[in-house]
Amino acid sequence: MSSNVIVEVRNLHKVYPSGTHALKGVSLDVYEGEFLVVIGLSGSGKTTLLKCINRLEEPTAGTVKFLGKDITHIKGKELREVRTHIGMVFQQFNLIKRMTVLNNVLAGKLGYMKTLPSILGNFPQECIDEAMKNLDIVGIREYAYERADKLSGGQQQRVAIARSLMQSPKLLLADEPVASLDPATSNSIMQYFEKVNKELGVTVVCNLHFLSLVRRYATRVIALKAGEIVFEGLPHEINEEWFKKIYGEEAEEVEIR
Amino acid sequence: MLEPELEIHPKEKILRKKKNQEKVDLVKAILLDSFFIFYTILVLQRAIYYKVILDLRELPFSWYEIGFIAIVSVLIGIIWGYSRTSLGAKIMGLAKETKFAKLSSEIFAWTLFNLTFIAGWLVTKISLIDLFSAEGIEGANRIFYALFTPEFGIFDDALFAIIETIYLALIATLLSIPPTLILSFLTARNLMKDHWYTFSIYYILRIILNFVRSIEPLIWAIIFSVWVGIGPFAGMIALLVHTIAANAKLYSEAIESIEEGPVDAIAATGANKLQIIWYAVIPQIVLPFLSFTIYRWDINVRMATVIGLVGGGGIGTMLMQYQGLAQWHEVGLIVIMIAIVVWIMDYISAKIREAIY
Repeated sequence: MSSNVIVEVRNLHKVYPSGTHALKGVSLDVYEGEFLVVIGLSGSGKTTLLKCINRLEEPTAGTVKFLGKDITHIKGKELREVRTHIGMVFQQFNLIKRMTVLNNVLAGKLGYMKTLPSILGNFPQECIDEAMKNLDIVGIREYAYERADKLSGGQQQRVAIARSLMQSPKLLLADEPVASLDPATSNSIMQYFEKVNKELGVTVVCNLHFLSLVRRYATRVIALKAGEIVFEGLPHEINEEWFKKIYGEEAEEVEIR
Repeated sequence: MLEPELEIHPKEKILRKKKNQEKVDLVKAILLDSFFIFYTILVLQRAIYYKVILDLRELPFSWYEIGFIAIVSVLIGIIWGYSRTSLGAKIMGLAKETKFAKLSSEIFAWTLFNLTFIAGWLVTKISLIDLFSAEGIEGANRIFYALFTPEFGIFDDALFAIIETIYLALIATLLSIPPTLILSFLTARNLMKDHWYTFSIYYILRIILNFVRSIEPLIWAIIFSVWVGIGPFAGMIALLVHTIAANAKLYSEAIESIEEGPVDAIAATGANKLQIIWYAVIPQIVLPFLSFTIYRWDINVRMATVIGLVGGGGIGTMLMQYQGLAQWHEVGLIVIMIAIVVWIMDYISAKIREAIY
């Protein structure tokens, strides 16, 4: 693992218009090639942190740097250019339900395309080949021409991973990617993230709920509580004591295999 | 070195916002209370005292009196609202948790409701005597008898007129689609809120559309029958104008209620605004749009018959002519034909809407 910093977050605050103070001075570095997992209760600010990194949300204070470039308040074309290098996968998959799987995957290329051809659906042949190759990686090539909402949850999440791979991302953000899936499917999805991380060398930052998954896949762990980082270390360092600290006294660890 | 400053920054923001919000809410509460009191006094004075107790036929009217009532209301409103025991304070969520505050606002709310009901009853001049008088029932008998023994001699004319009405409604609906589409995107809050200039476009268009929509198609038909002359063309434009305004609102609400997830996902790929709209917004709204448009055709057929009454062409104009001549048997045929066509349209549009969902 090289130790180049890919994302540098300093003293990040995010206050939503509703008044919710989601992040309270978060600072962290993401190193190239690592599989960083962010844990914490619902509402602890995990999603907001990811959205501040690809700037779906604009931070209220503090800085975010991507590959050494300050992206905290960039706008327009500059922002879109940065976003093309950062893939994102969501809990609810967020596919375009009425489109085919192939078109959903091709949508990952939008940031690289001119407006008119992309709206007309005029994707060059090499894009289509690339989409097919990415569907191969996640093992659902045979569904390419099915409608996306015909697929099961796990398959839809694989389409979402293939879509983010179309960006040839340097960084992949995953916002609780397995939270709406059953345990067996969760594991297989996590294996695809591992594959993307190890074989394609894409840095992954992933929000997770289940500690057993964290121990299995993470190379490093950060825990958020009420918008602040309360733990930073290796997966095996999270013992019972830390667990109670992060999730509260009444929490009990649930196993998922 | 900058860190302490940065840390105070957001928290202060929240606090300041909360305080400001409370001030604004208190002003709103006082305004509400003043209005409620003003309304209560006016209704008590004019509907109850003048009309019922004094039984005046012509109500006296003076601006001085009304101005005086308004000032008194505002004064009471300020005192009552500021004490945070009023109905307005309760509505804005500022009321104190005391028994008095609870009781006073509840009693006042009930008084308002009952007063409004009594005043409404008086204003509409509800009279069971008129409804069941011998004369009245005889007139009703005559008309119902004629309506149920329709004159079939004008069937071919009526058929032609009703086909004209259906086409008129169809053209108005079809022509409305392109402008409605454009307007709906410009009046969708979630697409327009990001910059102050797009937001002002949104705001101005909303006001214009609300205004256009609040004028009934019947009035538009009167305006356009003066503008382009009496006939189906005037009726069609009237329907078109109202359809655009009404559907732009429905469409834009459909855009506002889309799932944000796909929008985030497409934005995250680095797509620009047009690409986001095309890939994440449009696929989600195609079905509701189609459904609204088909339903609107159905509504427009019904409205076209009404618009015909003021010279908008079609079956309505024909109905108006025979009604003017008091030829109730002919009117009966026309009414039955309208009912059948509306029923068929209703059925077809429901079936189509079911099928596409």
